Amino acid sequence: MLQNKLVFNQSSVRLEIIGLPDYSNNENKNQISIISQWKLMIIDTPLIEGNIDHLSSIMGAFYSYSNFLINNDNAFYESKFIDIIAENYFTHKVLLKSSKPNIKPLKINIGNAVLSDIINCFDQFNASIKVRKVNSVVLDNPPKKAFLKFINKDITFNYILPPLISLCSLFLISSSFIYLYNLSEDKEKKALINSNNTLHSIKSINTIL
Amino acid sequence: MLTLETIDLNGAQSLLNLSNNLNLNKILPNKITIWKLRNNNPMRKSYINNKITIEAFDALTKITVEMSKALYPYIREILQSRDDIDKNPYPWNDFKNRFIELINERFNINSMRVKKLIDRNGNDKILLKNLLTLALCSSDEGYQKLRTSLLNF
Repeated sequence: MLQNKLVFNQSSVRLEIIGLPDYSNNENKNQISIISQWKLMIIDTPLIEGNIDHLSSIMGAFYSYSNFLINNDNAFYESKFIDIIAENYFTHKVLLKSSKPNIKPLKINIGNAVLSDIINCFDQFNASIKVRKVNSVVLDNPPKKAFLKFINKDITFNYILPPLISLCSLFLISSSFIYLYNLSEDKEKKALINSNNTLHSIKSINTIL
Repeated sequence: MLTLETIDLNGAQSLLNLSNNLNLNKILPNKITIWKLRNNNPMRKSYINNKITIEAFDALTKITVEMSKALYPYIREILQSRDDIDKNPYPWNDFKNRFIELINERFNINSMRVKKLIDRNGNDKILLKNLLTLALCSSDEGYQKLRTSLLNF
């Protein structure tokens, strides 16, 4: 059976995907859903190839590393199959570890231009409708605090501040007129009234007599 | 955006054309609106704090990604020139000179942050980071990448 081949090119990088369509899913004969082989060719470096798991981990590594580069200064990525470390601002060290025994890891040094070509090739591969997606971009969500800078403080102040000020002033003015019930004072008053009553009653008795 | 304008000499018009192509006319109807939004940068000479909205921020991010897609071959050439500075220094040096010219023209050069941008011996890292960010974001998923990066900044 003839296999399908898709090629994604970007300047110094070429990605070849070889595989078959999934006929059980009634797919088109040009589609590739079962990837049997892939090849990543970077100019002036040895050919990189492997199985679907290798492709997935290599794509994941490059995407994670590029996200680190955009968001941080110290970018590095380490995994079972691949390590990527920034040597300086211009060079990135890639270490590819073979899954087969007795095979030495492959060391490649790439520049910023080649790195962006690799990411561009993977983006083309991800965007293609002719092939099953292997690994998409892993993006960190922006912190919720970051959105606070877009809140228009003028509108917030215009809506919240006037009722707040009016409530505060209302409280302050009304509190100056408030009568607080004092229990001890009340007792004294009651005692005074009682004593007055007693005096009145004595006086009235005298008047009657 | 200034990095893109350094590469594209007619950058302001290109930004407006892209805004029309992406149906962002409601948010960015003309060059003046884009200019006003760009003046939110406190390092500019004509800085005005006119409160950028989330819609305007998203629109600017979208047109930046679209423009970096269109200018990818040039961005790549400049990056390649910096990688092989001994063999082909001209694209990198041209880019650097024009970037410094634009900064001198538009930014407040008394600010310490701006002085770092125009320091010929020390601004390579900043320029490279800008170019690399644009190169890595020149894809369909670039908008999300650039947005996250800017919000994390």
